[in-house]
Amino acid sequence: MALLEVRDLRAGYGSVPVLHGVTLDVEEGSNAVLVGLNGAGKTTTLLALAGLLASESGEIWFDGQRLDGLDARRRVRRGVVLVPEGRRVFPALTVAQNLRLGAWPRRRQRRLVGTALARVHGLFPVLAERRHQLAGTLSGGEQQMLAIGRGLMAGPRLLLVDEASLGLSPKLVAEVFAAVRQINADGVTVLMVEQNAGVLAGADRAFVLQKGRVVFAGAGGDAMQKTLWTAYFGDPLAEPGRR
Amino acid sequence: MWTFLVQGVFQGAVYGLLAVGLVLVYKGTRVFNFAQGEFGSVAAFVTWGLLLHTAVPYLVAFVGGLLAAVAMGLLVERAVVRPLFAASRLILLVATVGVALLAIALTVLAAQPQARVLPPAVAGEPITVAGASVLPQQILVLVALAAVAAGLAGFFRTDLGLAVLAVSQDPVATRVVGINPVMLSRVIWGLAAGLGGLAGLLQAPVGIFTPGFMTATTLLPAFAAAVLGGMTSLPGAFAGGVAIGVAQNLGIYLLGQQLAVPGAAELTVFGLLLAVLLVRPQGLLGKAA
Ligand SMILES: Nc1ncnc2c1ncn2[C@@H]1O[C@H](COP(=O)(O)OP(=O)(O)O)[C@@H](O)[C@H]1O
Ligand SMILES: [Mg+2]
Repeated sequence: MALLEVRDLRAGYGSVPVLHGVTLDVEEGSNAVLVGLNGAGKTTTLLALAGLLASESGEIWFDGQRLDGLDARRRVRRGVVLVPEGRRVFPALTVAQNLRLGAWPRRRQRRLVGTALARVHGLFPVLAERRHQLAGTLSGGEQQMLAIGRGLMAGPRLLLVDEASLGLSPKLVAEVFAAVRQINADGVTVLMVEQNAGVLAGADRAFVLQKGRVVFAGAGGDAMQKTLWTAYFGDPLAEPGRR
Repeated sequence: MWTFLVQGVFQGAVYGLLAVGLVLVYKGTRVFNFAQGEFGSVAAFVTWGLLLHTAVPYLVAFVGGLLAAVAMGLLVERAVVRPLFAASRLILLVATVGVALLAIALTVLAAQPQARVLPPAVAGEPITVAGASVLPQQILVLVALAAVAAGLAGFFRTDLGLAVLAVSQDPVATRVVGINPVMLSRVIWGLAAGLGGLAGLLQAPVGIFTPGFMTATTLLPAFAAAVLGGMTSLPGAFAGGVAIGVAQNLGIYLLGQQLAVPGAAELTVFGLLLAVLLVRPQGLLGKAA
């Protein structure tokens, strides 16, 4: 049984349906990617998985237990942690305070928090250097690292990463992706949402989302094939290898 | 004039406490709370009632008044704010006006529309400090304020305090990290109500008090103080309160006593509020939105 099993998930905003039955499986320890055009519903999917948006119907199973119906707080406790689109760090708190709040669900377990902090600092040394700096004064790349680091502080089993590459230089994108690969190698299951096709090559599994439905599920390499890509995206500029 | 200045600081401290509660609720739950003054009125009446009808010591009655204010804050949060949270901010603002009017009506019912006297925690003749005459009660007020300031500074270094700051910066992100938003909303309203209650208990012994006295006499200066602090800064709101208190007393001295202008106190507060809103709408210490 996969760590995450999503069955026919429907969700939307008010009376506007966005997800029309999303079904996908993410195996424990794997590194999965969800791609799709702008507006396809990738962010909506992650919000519904994280419990920030109520799902209308369908099932979300995590480690054999139903997740839908639980609030965001309980899902974080179970290890489903979101690194949200747009970073959403707390701008007027320091880097250290942001990381501290990331550990909220297990804030009384000082030793675990200390270990997690050392791990985050190991992964992103710049966050250690700038720990007393206000998060709002960090560069975009540093804020993304902080957002990922804050997610790690909760001790995730499944990390949901929404468009970590958005607005970053190619060098920083490579750095952030390398960090996510490292996190995955350390045993955290990862589901990344990306428009940047560069991640597909390294992914164990890829899902293509189109208008609120998964229209392709397969190995990351297969999703990269030009035929598929143009079929689903129809935009030669977005073709992998040409960015 | 020196005495006017010193009295202004004490009066301003009450405005400041109320203003800190206003800003806390505004930042944390985006509600402009017109009932903030009534936390103070209710606390004063509960303490007064306990002293009148029971034999409890002053400290117990004082704490009872504070707890009543906190309970009222939690009740308002549960019964008014949370059910209306998805409504427009204007509806919530009007709802808090309703809460204030209801609280005034209930105190009138319970305690009659009469002026009352709350004895100070410590009695005694004024003593002269640095040329100004100061009551022993006012020394106690200073000690209480220092304790509150230290307590708040400490609180905002705890995880819970950081969460309160965080929710004012990005409520969605606090849910992302797994913080219970309902719990946070309760903490914020309870804390703001406690500060409002303290303000009322410090203000009441200054003269006589009537139902709704905090809303009538201190809410507007507290609002001016919060605006001075930019509606975002807690220390700014407190400093704004002290500044308003001092300016008001200087106004009373210069306009009222020297020039015999009627309504000097109100004139000064309104004038200052208007000037700040026109010249620096983001407040003196606030950041531009
Ligand atoms: N808060 C919202 N309210 C209403 N509609 C929204 C909201 N957020 C997103 N949408 C709509 O839902 C659809 C999917 O959006 P989203 O999940 O953000 O797409 P993606 O992340 O794939 O770019 C879009 O049509 C978008 O306009
Ligand atoms: Mg998106």
